[in-house]
Amino acid sequence: MDEIVMAAAAILILIGMTAAIFSRDPFDKLISLSILIAGVFPFIVNRGLLDVAIALALIAPLSTVFILMACQRRAP
Amino acid sequence: MIAIYLCTVIAVYAALRIIAERNTMRKLPFVNVISFAVTAIIALLLPHPLTILAAAAFFVGSTFESNAIASTWSGGMKRNG
Repeated sequence: MDEIVMAAAAILILIGMTAAIFSRDPFDKLISLSILIAGVFPFIVNRGLLDVAIALALIAPLSTVFILMACQRRAP
Repeated sequence: MIAIYLCTVIAVYAALRIIAERNTMRKLPFVNVISFAVTAIIALLLPHPLTILAAAAFFVGSTFESNAIASTWSGGMKRNG
């Protein structure tokens, strides 16, 4: 049972990686990065590291918000 | 056992739709779909009482992240005057 789910999570990570490499728009890169982070979580939970998963789920959006401050659209 | 397989299929399908979509605005609902599906995968993967807390934390975090991307992409608050 777990192997199929973990294979799907690996597919999710690979899709996020290739989309983050080949996309041009910074917002597309951020969306691909969120796919990659979502693919990492089943691996952490599968080993039983639930406290690590809780801390990472609360810290990882903060990095996205800090990158969004850098690529914010300025009013002309 | 069929529920977790269904959630994995939904997650991979939404990721493929994000790859295939050209418009950035149409990509953003599928990010929410991936976050819902991965939340269900986390909740169904281990029979442990702390798992539901990890799933709730991931749900809150990923929804916050995708909504921050969407509101920044659409331009944020408009100020008059």
